[in-house]
Amino acid sequence: MRALVVEDDPDLVRQLSETLRDEGYAVDQATDGEEATYLGEVEPYDVVVLDLGLPVIDGVSVLKSWRGKGRTMPVLILTARGQWSEKVAGFDAGADDYLTKPFQMEELLARIRALIRRAAGHASPVLRCGPVEVDTSSATVVVNGESIKLTGHEYKLLSYLIHHMNKIVSRTELTEHIYDQDFDRDSNTIEVFVGRLRKKLGVDVIKTVRGLGYRMEPDGEAS
Amino acid sequence: MVRRPSSLTFRLIAGAGLWTFFALVVVGVALAFLFRQTVERSFDARLDVLLESLIVAAEYDPDKGVYLSGPLAEPRFEQPYSGWYWQITPRDGQVMISRSLWDRELKEDLSAPEPQPHHYYSVGPDNQQIRVVERDIIFPDSKAPVRFAVAAVTTENKMEVTRFVGAIVVALGLMGIGLIGAVIAQVRYGLRPLRTLEGQLERVRSGEADRLEGGYPSEIAPVADELNKLIDHNAELLARARTHVGNLAHALKTPLSVLMNDSATHHGTLAASVRRQLDVMRRLVDHYLVRARTAAAGQVIGTRTPVLPAMTSLRTTLEKIYASRDVRIFVQGGDRLNFRGERQDFDEMLGNLMDNACKWADAEVRVTVERRDTNLVFLVEDDGPGIDDEQREAVFSRGQRFDEATPGSGLGLSIVRDIAGLYGGGIELDRSELGGLKAVLTLPASADTSVQQAAQ
Repeated sequence: MRALVVEDDPDLVRQLSETLRDEGYAVDQATDGEEATYLGEVEPYDVVVLDLGLPVIDGVSVLKSWRGKGRTMPVLILTARGQWSEKVAGFDAGADDYLTKPFQMEELLARIRALIRRAAGHASPVLRCGPVEVDTSSATVVVNGESIKLTGHEYKLLSYLIHHMNKIVSRTELTEHIYDQDFDRDSNTIEVFVGRLRKKLGVDVIKTVRGLGYRMEPDGEAS
Repeated sequence: MVRRPSSLTFRLIAGAGLWTFFALVVVGVALAFLFRQTVERSFDARLDVLLESLIVAAEYDPDKGVYLSGPLAEPRFEQPYSGWYWQITPRDGQVMISRSLWDRELKEDLSAPEPQPHHYYSVGPDNQQIRVVERDIIFPDSKAPVRFAVAAVTTENKMEVTRFVGAIVVALGLMGIGLIGAVIAQVRYGLRPLRTLEGQLERVRSGEADRLEGGYPSEIAPVADELNKLIDHNAELLARARTHVGNLAHALKTPLSVLMNDSATHHGTLAASVRRQLDVMRRLVDHYLVRARTAAAGQVIGTRTPVLPAMTSLRTTLEKIYASRDVRIFVQGGDRLNFRGERQDFDEMLGNLMDNACKWADAEVRVTVERRDTNLVFLVEDDGPGIDDEQREAVFSRGQRFDEATPGSGLGLSIVRDIAGLYGGGIELDRSELGGLKAVLTLPASADTSVQQAAQ
């Protein structure tokens, strides 16, 4: 999952990025409204954490500009301004959630997970695909009742695929959503990770669609 | 009315009163003096006529001396002690007196000759004050001058002067009272703008008005203008101070977040004390933000907020916030209704109530608004567990959170009550038919609404 953090306080940006990376997100940062507008327009983010009081262009304008250009990624506003009129203005501009500073990091993470889930059309924090169960709140994977240990990259991959199960996900899309902006992207690495993931899961839920990419399907018990 | 000696009214009336009294006394004294003189002169003229007729009636014979050729026309000369007397005093002969003098004589000072009529006051035979006119005449055949004198009591004159003075005192007194009355009326009328100013200031102080209204006379218009500027300046300072407090509180929130997040990942006594102090700071920031918010609420006069769009926006917002909970929000009524106040304040009050309801609701939140007289009554109900009767009052106290597990600062209901109070409204809690809590919020309706409704 790829996240964009827009915040002008350097310490808070560092904390948010570190925490999100620890949680398995590929994180990009923007410290002013102009940069944020650009990144949000060109990069395919799964979630955006947006501060409202930004230099150059304020957060609400950034959000309006994204929505005006048809960008639909879930946006969580993280701001010091907690008045209802300000919340209403934020949601009117197209926000999906609103968190007031000071905040607990756990709450932010929970809300981000919920936003990503909802955007992919899932209601429960536990996603199931046949025998594979992914608990997004604890980042644990269970196959046929047994817990499985995955590396960070493997979990990112599985998480993205299971969020978009029954849909074809291209290698490029996977690369874009799993690595951040500065990562040296190589689609062969994806193939290596998918191979390892298949081996660890032990069930055939990740299908290769020739020439297009991968698809995760629940009818994988057969293998 | 008790007037302090320092009051303007007292000064003006006392000043005018003293001056009027002094002027009227001087005028009265002058008039009395002039009248006395006039009376005296006309009396002297009568005496002169009588003296003339006495002189004409007198004849001189070198043997017999002076004698009267005939009786005088004035009968009072014949009655004893009538008060009207004459006396002829030759330097060398027998003194002749009127019958009225009986056995007395007028005291004559013959040492100085009096060729012209000479008037003076003297004392009569029965010790009454008399007015005397005397003149020396030298008959053609005589050598020594003969002194003719006519005298009369002045009682009548005195009475006339007394009557006149009495009349004048009454007239001038009435005039004085009239003048003082006019001065009082004038002062009252003249100082009325000051009283208006005082009343307006009182209204500003009590918050009924935000400026001094109405036209003032040119003398105190500058004062009213300056006062208005002062009031505006004061309001500006206050607003700026509140903005600063708000900005400071908001600005502190990011550093607080950073410290909270960093300290959360550490163990040990330092991290623990940092967390405790951060919690104190967070509460303080919240507290002062709420205070700045409530202090700024209800300050702008003449604004109105259409209720329906505001409620719809809040519903959309809350549906997004509680998207994972599947709570349905129903909004009923509100079309064409307007709240007499600012949108921000309205959002803050109804937002908090609806947010509370969503937090506690199982599946349904219902918001109803209706107009009752000059008020709008909002009912915010949920189908959650509700609150026991005893605990209802407690949830209003600042910082009280009924359930610490449910997110929220716990300031929600108290700020709703504070803001509603500033608008002259209020909030009550009750049990809802849906099973949960029912919050009843009463707010003033905009006056325009009744006009609109009447026009329908």
